[in-house]
Amino acid sequence: MATSSFFHPSVAFLMMAVILPFLPGNRRWKWLLLLPPLAAIYAAFNNPVGDHLSLQWLGQTLKLGHVDKLSSIFAQVFAIMSLAGLIFSLHVNDKGQHVAALLYVAGGFGCLLAGDYLSLFAFWELMSLGSTFLVMLNRTRESVLAAFRYFLYHTIGGLLLLAGVLLRYRLTNSFDFGPIASSGATIADWLILSGFCVNAAVVPLHAWLPDAYPRGTVTGSVFMCAFTTKTAVYVLARAFPGWEILAIAGTIMAIYGVLFASMENNARKILSYHIVSQVGYMVAGIGVGVAMTLNGAAAHAYAHILYKGLLFMGAGAVLYATGTQRLDELGGLAARLPWVMVFYMVAALSISGMPLFNGFVSKTMTIAGAAESGWFWVALGLELAAVGTFISVGLKLPYFAFWGGKPTDWQRPLKPIPANMYAGMAILAILCLAQGVYPDILYRYLVFQEAVHEFHPWTSWNVIQALNLLGFSGLAFYVLRKVIAPHKALNLDFDLFYRLIGRMALFFVCRPLAFFDNIWTNVWNAVGLRILKALGRLTNVFDKKVIDLIVDGSARDVKRVGQLGALIQNGRLQQYLGLATFIALVILAIVWYC
Amino acid sequence: MPPRGENLGFLAKLLAAQLTAGRIKLWRRVFFGALLLVAALSLVIPNHHPHFGYDKYPLFWTIFGLGVGLAMVLTVKKIIQPVIKKSEDYYGDL
Repeated sequence: MATSSFFHPSVAFLMMAVILPFLPGNRRWKWLLLLPPLAAIYAAFNNPVGDHLSLQWLGQTLKLGHVDKLSSIFAQVFAIMSLAGLIFSLHVNDKGQHVAALLYVAGGFGCLLAGDYLSLFAFWELMSLGSTFLVMLNRTRESVLAAFRYFLYHTIGGLLLLAGVLLRYRLTNSFDFGPIASSGATIADWLILSGFCVNAAVVPLHAWLPDAYPRGTVTGSVFMCAFTTKTAVYVLARAFPGWEILAIAGTIMAIYGVLFASMENNARKILSYHIVSQVGYMVAGIGVGVAMTLNGAAAHAYAHILYKGLLFMGAGAVLYATGTQRLDELGGLAARLPWVMVFYMVAALSISGMPLFNGFVSKTMTIAGAAESGWFWVALGLELAAVGTFISVGLKLPYFAFWGGKPTDWQRPLKPIPANMYAGMAILAILCLAQGVYPDILYRYLVFQEAVHEFHPWTSWNVIQALNLLGFSGLAFYVLRKVIAPHKALNLDFDLFYRLIGRMALFFVCRPLAFFDNIWTNVWNAVGLRILKALGRLTNVFDKKVIDLIVDGSARDVKRVGQLGALIQNGRLQQYLGLATFIALVILAIVWYC
Repeated sequence: MPPRGENLGFLAKLLAAQLTAGRIKLWRRVFFGALLLVAALSLVIPNHHPHFGYDKYPLFWTIFGLGVGLAMVLTVKKIIQPVIKKSEDYYGDL
C-alpha cells in the first residue's frame, strides 16, 4: 500500500467504509471515523512528489499515486475538509450515511492522485455512487427522486468522459492524464472536456447541482459541496489550462449563479447556486491560463472548500434545529442560534471577499491576473459577480434567516444542536480567518511560486476598493431589502430541458421500441417457439434416458442460483449500486494482490 | 422576552439586546458613517494599478457597488423572476 513513505489516502477511507458495517453498535465506532481523515492529512502534507503505486491491469499500467504540487494542494484541503465534515457528522447514527461519505471522499482522493484516465474514470464513478447515496439517504420522497435524477445525469456525464477517454486511446495509444493543447484538439478531447464540465457545473450543464444538494442530508451536502465540483476544477486545471472557452464559460457561471441565488427562497439552494458562481471564478482562471490565474484558481478552490463547507454547515444547522430551510419561514433567530450565526457570517464574509477573510486573498488573485493579461471583460464580470455574491449570500440569506425585520422568535421550538456540529464549524471558521490574515499559509503551497511574489492582496488600495465595493452593494441591499424578500416559488432552470429530454427518451422507449418488440414477440411465438418445442421434445427423451441418471443434483443447484438471482434483481437502484461498488472493490482487491 | 428559566449565553443576550428601536437606529448610523468613511478614504488613497481604465477615477468602485447592486436586484426580482416563476411543486417532486 505504501511505497517509500507514500500513502494513498483513499486506502484509509475505503478500509473504513468496508469495516464500518461490521463494527458493534455501541457507537464507540464513531471515533474511528476520524482516523482516515487524520491519515489523509498526514499523507497530503508528506507524500513525496513522483509516481507511486503502478498497477498492471488488462495490459494497461494504472497509475494510482501521481503526486505533484497541483495534486498536493488539492489533497491538503480535501483532507482538512474531510476531517471537519466527519466531525460535523459524528452525531449521525446511520452507518449508511458514513459509508457513503467515506466512499465518496475516497473517490475524490483517487481522482486527485490518478495519473491515467482509466484510474481517473474508476474513482470518478465511485464519487458519483457515494454522492448519490448522500442524497438518497435523506430518506424523503423528494430526496430519493432527486438522487435518481442526480445519478442518471452523472452517469451520462461519466459516459461522455469514458467515450472521450477510449477515443483518445485509439488516437494517441495512451491513457496518460496530462495537459492537452487547445490547438489541434480532437473530438475525443472535447468529449473529455464535456464530461469534466458536467461535474464542474458549467452552465448550462449545471442544473443537477441546485436540484440535488439542497435535498441531501444535512451532513451529506457538506461533503458534496466540497468535493465534486472541486475535483472537476482540479482535472480541468490539469488537462485544459489555457482553453479560452473556459474563461468565457467561467465568467457566465459566476454571473448566472448569483442571479439565480438572488431570487431563491431555499437557503441551501442559494448556496448551491453560489457553488456554480464561485466555481466560475476557478474555471475562468483556468481558461485564462496564465500563472497568476492558475494560482488564483487553486487558491480559490482551497479557500472555497473551507468557506463553502462552513456555509453548508451553518445552513444545515439551521435546518437541523428548525426543520426548515425556507427563508420565508425563518427570521428572528440570531439570539436563538447565536454561534451558528457567527460561524455562518465568517463564511459569508469569506465568500464575499471581505478583507480579513480568505476569499479576499484568493478571489482577487484571479481577477487581477485576468485583468493584467488583457481579459478585461472576464475581470469585470467577476467583479460584477462579487457584488451579487455579497448581496445574496453575505446579506440576504443571513438577514432573512436570523433577523428579517422580525423580533426574536422565542416561541419556535428548536432541536438542540450537538457539540460536534459546532466543533466542525469552529475548525473551518478559524481556518477561513487564518488564511485571510496570513495569506502565506495558503500561498506557499501554490504551483507557480514566481507569480505569487507578483501579487499582494494586503495593499491599502485593495482593502479600500473591497470595502467600497462591498459597503455600497450593502447599501443597495438596504435600499431594496423589501424587493429582494424571498417568497415560495420554483424558478425554472435548465433542468426543465433535461426533464424534457428524459421524457422524450422514455417516450421513444415506450412507443416505437415497444412496437417493434411486440412484432418480434409475435414472430417468435409463431416460429421460434415451435422449433424450440420440437427440440425440447427431443432433448426431453435424451434427458430422461441419459442425463437424469448422471447429474440429477445439478438441477437443484441451478434452481438455487436462479432464486438468488431473482432476489438480487428486485428493481431497487440503491441495492444495485451497493452491489456494483462491492464487486468493484472485490475485483480491485483481487487485481491488487494477484 | 425569552421564556422563564432559559439560561442565555452572553452572545445571545448581546444579540437580543440589539433589537430595540434605539439600538437599530444606532447601528444604522454606524453603517452610514462607515460608508462615508470608506468613500472618503478612496478619495485619499490612490489606485496605482487601474485595471479597467475608468477605475482610475475616484469613487469608481463606490458607484460600481451601488449601481450594480441596485440594477442586479431590480432586474432579477422585477424582470427575470416574474417570467420564470412557477409554483413550488411545479414538477410534482415534493
